[in-house]
Amino acid sequence: MKVSKDWLKELVEIKDMLQVETLLPLRTISTKDVTSDYIELDMKGYNRADLLSMRGVAYEVAAILDSEVTFTEPEVKDYIWTQLAEKADLKKLHVVLENPQLVPMYCVVKIEGLKVGPSEKEWVKKLADCGVRSINNVADITNLVMLEYGQPLHAFDASEVTEETIYVRNAKKGEKLETLDGKNRELSEEDLLIADPEKALGIAGVMGGKNSEITDQTSTILLEAAIFDPISLRRTSQRLGLTSEASKRFYHGLTKKRLLQALDAAIRRYQDLGGTVTGLTISGGLEDTPKETYLTLTKTQDLIGVKVTRDEVEKFLEKLHFQLKETTEEKDYIKWQVGAPYWRLDIDIQEDLIEEVARMYGYEKIPPQPLPGTPPAKIDQKLFELVSSLKETLAAEGLTEAQTYSFYTTKVLQALGFNEENKAILVKVANPISSETEYLRMNLWPNLVEFIDKNLRRGAEDIAIFEVGKIFPPNPDNKLEEKFAFSIALMNGTDNPLSELYQIFQKVNKKLSLKIEDKPNEQTDPLGLFHSKRFIRLSLDGKPVGGMAEVHPRVLDQYGIKNRVAILEIDLSKLL
Amino acid sequence: MEEKIKQIQQEYTKKIEEAKSLANLDELFLEVFGKNGVVTLLPKDFASLSVDEKKTVGPLFNQLKTTLEQTLAQARLALREEEYQKREEETLVLDKKAEPKKRTGHLHPLTQFEKDIVKIFAEMGFQQFDAPEVDSDYYNFEVLNMHSQHPARDLWDTLYIEGEKYGYKPGQLLLRTHTSNSQVRIMEQFKPPFRMMIIDRCFRYENLDARHEHTFDQFELVYVDKGLSMANLQYLSEQFLKKIFGPEIKVRLKPGYYPFTEPSAGIQGECIFCKGKGCKICGGVGWLELAGAGMIHPNVLKNGGIDPNEYSGIAWGVGPLRMAMLKWGIEDIRTFLSGDLKFLEKF
Repeated sequence: MKVSKDWLKELVEIKDMLQVETLLPLRTISTKDVTSDYIELDMKGYNRADLLSMRGVAYEVAAILDSEVTFTEPEVKDYIWTQLAEKADLKKLHVVLENPQLVPMYCVVKIEGLKVGPSEKEWVKKLADCGVRSINNVADITNLVMLEYGQPLHAFDASEVTEETIYVRNAKKGEKLETLDGKNRELSEEDLLIADPEKALGIAGVMGGKNSEITDQTSTILLEAAIFDPISLRRTSQRLGLTSEASKRFYHGLTKKRLLQALDAAIRRYQDLGGTVTGLTISGGLEDTPKETYLTLTKTQDLIGVKVTRDEVEKFLEKLHFQLKETTEEKDYIKWQVGAPYWRLDIDIQEDLIEEVARMYGYEKIPPQPLPGTPPAKIDQKLFELVSSLKETLAAEGLTEAQTYSFYTTKVLQALGFNEENKAILVKVANPISSETEYLRMNLWPNLVEFIDKNLRRGAEDIAIFEVGKIFPPNPDNKLEEKFAFSIALMNGTDNPLSELYQIFQKVNKKLSLKIEDKPNEQTDPLGLFHSKRFIRLSLDGKPVGGMAEVHPRVLDQYGIKNRVAILEIDLSKLL
Repeated sequence: MEEKIKQIQQEYTKKIEEAKSLANLDELFLEVFGKNGVVTLLPKDFASLSVDEKKTVGPLFNQLKTTLEQTLAQARLALREEEYQKREEETLVLDKKAEPKKRTGHLHPLTQFEKDIVKIFAEMGFQQFDAPEVDSDYYNFEVLNMHSQHPARDLWDTLYIEGEKYGYKPGQLLLRTHTSNSQVRIMEQFKPPFRMMIIDRCFRYENLDARHEHTFDQFELVYVDKGLSMANLQYLSEQFLKKIFGPEIKVRLKPGYYPFTEPSAGIQGECIFCKGKGCKICGGVGWLELAGAGMIHPNVLKNGGIDPNEYSGIAWGVGPLRMAMLKWGIEDIRTFLSGDLKFLEKF
């Protein structure tokens, strides 16, 4: 959310903007970018729906500055439709909600007599500060109001809406719609649409359709303000890869109160442009449920680790517009019933309130406190000790530790002789970034050989490397397996690198008392990956734990390696 | 010209077939296709030909090229197979008495860095725990307070695994996006109080560039006891950053958001480059965001079978890769896993 500085100054009494810039990240949320025009809040993944509106930000800023907002919350009697209702000529527009549980609230207003033209300078500046492009006066009102109140609005050209009747329904199989960005969208039956009796007009909460876009000829609009089910909307927006300023706000959560305020504010702006309201429908059974939770002083102090006082807690929370009612009956046990302001949809439990107290107190003022109690009893750490001592020993023996990706590249797959059919034994990524990250490694050594190839090309003449890491070997019972393995690869320029690898193995085996036994391989290697004779099987107490071998030249040729390479690989889980 | 093409084809086919070694073939390749190779230079003579002649010679020339290429490839394969056969006759020869060559070994910079991290926290009684890299949506998201359409999932672009053959529904098996997949696993396995640490690989759907890696290590503390507070969290952060960057570093908490901690916090250290004055690296603010943490959300404790009224928990995490980059001034994140021996030998 880009927060326009000029606009913010209209909504909160601010003496020093620099103070806002300093305090926001300390009290509220990180800022991504600060310019002379705007402060950009880092909203990625954040749960503060209120910070997606200028008014919400204004409340927050007022609280952390210990200042006041300049606006007041309107009351029902102030709404324009309460006044218009007294005149009898207000027509009810026909709205059909086919799936009411996905549309908790749907309002539509018909406004006639508009003249489309460019927006005034001040609007263009406000929009630009907030990162929104000005389109024309009629469309800009929807965006300005959305930015101020956090409630998305949409204006349809009424002349393009057949019978001025709105259906909110799921898309039909194979239905298509050209959205405002000019793209043809193929819709699924899960998508919620705004439609007239004949055609789709927009994807609910995501983007309007090109067919009913406001043009220079538009004089009558249907203004929509709605709340849609965030989960369904998010699914659609993800499937289409389409997020908009509006969709973001929908899935962070909206309230009926703000919706009505936004609708009222927008109508007034259209009236200022010369528009007349001639029809209005407010439907949907949504009622905002005030969120109430309790808070105790003890828990607050315990969790923050600071002896905040009763007065501080009350002051901090009231500044943020929480309503506190002390409910304590016992002496020295202070407990409040706390009501959250309607725009704070993120407050559910006591810990949420404690975070509010901690924020207002100042996270940076929390002092360090040594850990309580004594360290718990030691648990089995053999795996980690083994990994660590292996790495240390190998490095001490002159080997360099490599870390390779957990994937097989296409080159490795090809060298190992994988084809479309036998690739199926590997663990497969469903949505790979590219074909280089599609299959998980079932051994370490093929990636170490790839490492050798890369470095031979860079002129290396002697390469002795190892890796300890997780592998994902195939399992005949289709059980997912993941285990630690350790591997060495050696290219020492000789025509028998296995001999030296064997010496290294002997030393490590002895140093770490691994007690691994070795025996020349007597079977043929069915995959042909290794030299049939220069191949040693490793075992512990008669059970196989791995092997070491010279890599078959046929495999090395696939990598483009002319030198001989010997490898070792051991399943670490078998050594524990 | 036709004669000449025929003659070249015969001559070199024969030479290739008689070649005794791959080196011979490489020489022949150069003789034919090299900069001054007979075939390479041949088109120079075409200029003097008539249009009709060109029509016959063109296809013949192309055919010559393909034939020689194929013959070379076959000869290579044959020689290699011969070589492979010869190797089959080699026996296992091990010089068990000799010492391996003297080399200077190196631990990977991440290992060195992580060794330090583990040591710092082991001294405070933390013990290592291993959680799977391929894990379920349940442990990676669901039990951490993030149902499938939770907006916070935007923080983690996820790589999914085809899990049907292992009995998972589509979208239910994934490469863990953070080490927090260990939190509820630990709670299920151990009774509080416990002090655990996890260090290992995590994955995200990221296109590689100097600032983005799809594979990276994370370090995380999962700590549950009676009476833990944000002040303890500040203590852990200070202990850690002072040992990594020196005792003079200032450390502070700031608000943050994770769905699985409440309150949540970001951990900032005074910028180690400008000592708080504000520079390019810290974006002019004088502080660097170095770790993320929070008090474990009561729902997460409950999901792990722990009573949040009795116990509280701290989750504390750091990206060793980013810390190592800061510490050693490495600018390209891809350097660590790029497989460059020269880089590794610097450490």
